[in-house]
Amino acid sequence: MSVLAKATYFWRSAAVGLRHSPFVHFIAVTTIAIALFSAGMARGAARMLDNLLASLGGEVEVTVYLAPELGEDEVHGMRSRVEELSAGQVTVVPPDAALTRLRTELGDLGDALAELPENPLPATLELRVPPEKRNPAALQALAKELRALPGVSGVDYGEAAVERLTAIARALRFGSLVAFVVVLGATVIIVAATLQLAIYARRGEIEIQKLVGATDRFVKAPFLLEGLLQGLMGAGVALLGLWAFGRLLGPTLGQLFAFLLGPGVGTAWVEPRLALELVGAGCGLGLGGSFVAVGRFLRV
Amino acid sequence: MIQFFHVYKAYPGDPPVLSDINLNVEKGEFVFLTGPSGAGKTTLLKLIFCAEKATKGQILVGGRNIARIRESAVPYLRRNIGVVFQDFKLLPHRTVEDNVSFTLDVLGVPRAEAREKVRRMLKLVGLEHKADSFPLRLSGGEQQRVVIARALVNDPTILLADEPTGNLDPALTVEIMDLLTQVNVRGTTVVVATHDATLLSRYQKRTVRLERGQIVSDEDGVKAARRMAAV
Repeated sequence: MSVLAKATYFWRSAAVGLRHSPFVHFIAVTTIAIALFSAGMARGAARMLDNLLASLGGEVEVTVYLAPELGEDEVHGMRSRVEELSAGQVTVVPPDAALTRLRTELGDLGDALAELPENPLPATLELRVPPEKRNPAALQALAKELRALPGVSGVDYGEAAVERLTAIARALRFGSLVAFVVVLGATVIIVAATLQLAIYARRGEIEIQKLVGATDRFVKAPFLLEGLLQGLMGAGVALLGLWAFGRLLGPTLGQLFAFLLGPGVGTAWVEPRLALELVGAGCGLGLGGSFVAVGRFLRV
Repeated sequence: MIQFFHVYKAYPGDPPVLSDINLNVEKGEFVFLTGPSGAGKTTLLKLIFCAEKATKGQILVGGRNIARIRESAVPYLRRNIGVVFQDFKLLPHRTVEDNVSFTLDVLGVPRAEAREKVRRMLKLVGLEHKADSFPLRLSGGEQQRVVIARALVNDPTILLADEPTGNLDPALTVEIMDLLTQVNVRGTTVVVATHDATLLSRYQKRTVRLERGQIVSDEDGVKAARRMAAV
């Protein structure tokens, strides 16, 4: 009994199966390709969303209001302390600079500030938060630590805006995950249904195999290989589609959304890691579909 | 080689197809199973190669109790049993050679060795010149000879034939029966289900007669032939 002979037989039989029901297999390959193409597009969209969040998140700033009685040396001492604590970039805004900025922001009304007997604004520290801390929990913890420092009279970081932005991102990610799972489930069902047609067309062959002593595994193997080949072909078509999409529409998209998302939108839609993931997913879909399909036809 | 002890087979809601079957077929024997349509001949054969399970009783094949056999062990049992059907069950889009070598593919016999065995078997059934033909281009007798070659190519110890000549004219019937007799002479135990009385007279082999699911007679060839002549 030769393993090599059996393996050769399985591949030969799988190839014969693909050749004998081309339309059925075309449907299965197309379905897998559409599902994987959609997944690849979703991945690209997720990358855009990450870019968007990074660009908006870059605007997140924490303003630390210092006690008015602090002198210049103490203010600079606070700056070092805050930089150390947050690992971010800190800019000192002295009271005069703060007043000038406010006057500019108020426009015509700013002249009224000249009537004030003294500058009411304290010195502030503007902290540019590092990327790893641009989420509500980390910002909240950082604000708490800063408020506890002696010489700090208040901390503001636009809490509501950050939380809303993060919630939107989370909802979009969850929604796309659910949609992806639904598409995968539907694909397995469609692939299984089409493969059942192919298996039905070869039921005579299966019956004879069983009668001459084939084990269930022996009968299943060529059909599982057919599913695997379908998955590989589907992944290949999807990758080709994504590559073509990136080449044809990527630059246009990049120009259209550069103002919002920054540079990099039009760059490659097919990366090595994505290609590997799609090939893996394709094999999984093909094998899963054929596994579901083949179970029903083994009783003789 | 094949032993039945008080075997019953029934389907829910129907009268039993086989009742209290006791039968012993020795190694190397040739046995006719006969009886009218619906007597239970095919069911009895199906019990031997585990296409059906007995409702009650014990069946020994080669000393192994197949009434209690695990599902996963059935394929290995079938590798020792060749089966010939009235409706041939050939794959129309495969050549004669591929149809015969189908059994060897299942066993994982290397291609070169399989080809050699298939050629030898096709020579035995007189079809070596048709190796590359497709089944639908062959006569009924030739198709049945391909089926016999497929059933014998892995040297099974038992050959079961269910109405092997049912679709054939008298000349082809003799041709197929001569082939089965020749296979038996080489040592294979052969059980043939048939309702063709002329075969029983001509070949004078042990004959087991079934009626309504029960064995009503079990006679040696001469006795059975004499009785057939008297009828």
